[in-house]
Amino acid sequence: MSANAGLLLGCAFWFLAYAGNWVAAGELGHQQAKVVKPPIEPMIPAAPQSSNPTASQDSPGRGLSLFLSNGCGACHTIRGTEARGTIGPDLSHVGSRTAIGAGVLPNTEEAFARFVARPDLFKPGVKMPAFDVLPQTEIQTIARYLKALQ
Amino acid sequence: MPGSRTESGTTSSNATAEEDAARVANQPIMIHLKHVVFGAIGLPVFLLLAAWIGFFNVGASSGHWKVTAWFLQLAMRSAVRTYALAVDAPKTLDRRGLPAAAGHFARGCAICHGAPGELRSPAVLRMLPQPPDLALTVGDWTDAQLFRIVKHGIRFTGMPAWPARDRDDEVWAMVAFLRELPKLSPNEFRALAINGSDVTSSDRQPATPDVLSDCMRCHGGDGEGRSDTVPALAGQKEAYLLASLQAYAKGDRTSGFMALPVTGIAPDEMAALARYFATLSPASGEQDQIPAEVINGGRQIAEAGIPERNVPACAGCHIGSDKNPIYPRLDGQHAAYLEQQLKLFRSESRGGTPFWRIMATAAQRLTDDDIRAVSAYFSKRAEDAQQLR
Repeated sequence: MSANAGLLLGCAFWFLAYAGNWVAAGELGHQQAKVVKPPIEPMIPAAPQSSNPTASQDSPGRGLSLFLSNGCGACHTIRGTEARGTIGPDLSHVGSRTAIGAGVLPNTEEAFARFVARPDLFKPGVKMPAFDVLPQTEIQTIARYLKALQ
Repeated sequence: MPGSRTESGTTSSNATAEEDAARVANQPIMIHLKHVVFGAIGLPVFLLLAAWIGFFNVGASSGHWKVTAWFLQLAMRSAVRTYALAVDAPKTLDRRGLPAAAGHFARGCAICHGAPGELRSPAVLRMLPQPPDLALTVGDWTDAQLFRIVKHGIRFTGMPAWPARDRDDEVWAMVAFLRELPKLSPNEFRALAINGSDVTSSDRQPATPDVLSDCMRCHGGDGEGRSDTVPALAGQKEAYLLASLQAYAKGDRTSGFMALPVTGIAPDEMAALARYFATLSPASGEQDQIPAEVINGGRQIAEAGIPERNVPACAGCHIGSDKNPIYPRLDGQHAAYLEQQLKLFRSESRGGTPFWRIMATAAQRLTDDDIRAVSAYFSKRAEDAQQLR
């Protein structure tokens, strides 16, 4: 019993004697750990690029060209254009409807923009994916184009 | 005379006798409890104290005690065997991923596990445990067990888990490669792993960074992809290539094969790589024999979609030079790659550019047959390749 106690006591003294060194070593290790930086520099998320750089900002056809270049025509028809999709509603005269999104939104340019960005927020179970990955200015341009389809 | 007292039969002496009996009976239990208490509290405290004062040597120089090594081996092998029971191994391994897997092995695994014709570093040989030379030991494991080890790694050994959690297809490609490894000569291994990267510096454009050789291991010097599961990059849209590299670097698109080479590439190098591959001549389409009705079914989906199942036409985003440049062109792309990606989109295991969710929405409405047909169609399609560039 006394031998065990002696061993423990010895260990305790030994520990106290070396504790200072350990703390110092620990701090050193900590500093080294701090120096190591992650190999990848933090990526700045790429600003959404204009999806159709050829169309100029204010040309009247820009809304339609954004509509087509982003694939909307695969689901929607707008008569007189290349958009001949049949999955979603025909939008040929969508600007003259009384309401949009199955009646939950007023027929305004702003409502079009909100619906295009996140249709799921207004129409549960909607088949259309969200296009909020497009730059806001492009969504606004598409909305202005849709509102003008009388 | 204790004997006569118990025989006397009086109530008071009876009680004493019962107490005695109880004391005698309790005695072994008391000792037993002491052991339990010591075991439950004292032993952990003792071990904790021993660890705290630094009794246990963590140096790797002297190796494990024999009993520790034996126990760790037993636990490791048993755990791999047991957990591999839940792995659903294919009957035959898909060999189409061999070049990519070999390239990954050369870059990520060979430093510890050795490769045909390459000596391992003395530092690696002093690791504890010493990483096995896989060419010699891979035969000890079944396919399912190898899958388990490659996918999840092994604790306390330094064996890491696969860098991408949702990419079982890549892990199976590694297993297929590991099966080949013992049969490979040094030359065969080099041909399989790094054949595509031996481009001379004169072939390169001045702005192309050195990391290009890493790309070429799998995508080939011509950018056409060295196997059917590796995408052809030649002639792909630059915006899509750049956004994809950024997505790999950020972890938005997961792949163990891409995670290693994409690490540490500077943003301007990424842009240079995207530009380089975008300017190469695009793939000319695959020569495989695919039944005409499959191709025609694929064309139908690509050009008109499947309206009754709400599948939009692929052409709406992927055919024509006037489409958003972040939408990739698919003409001449490998069918096996397209199939794999569509299935990953369908299970929402594939991110990518910020637009990935739009593709996932469409892919979720496709059956396996649809995916096969439409992938075959695009792999053959090349007529307006020049127009798309």
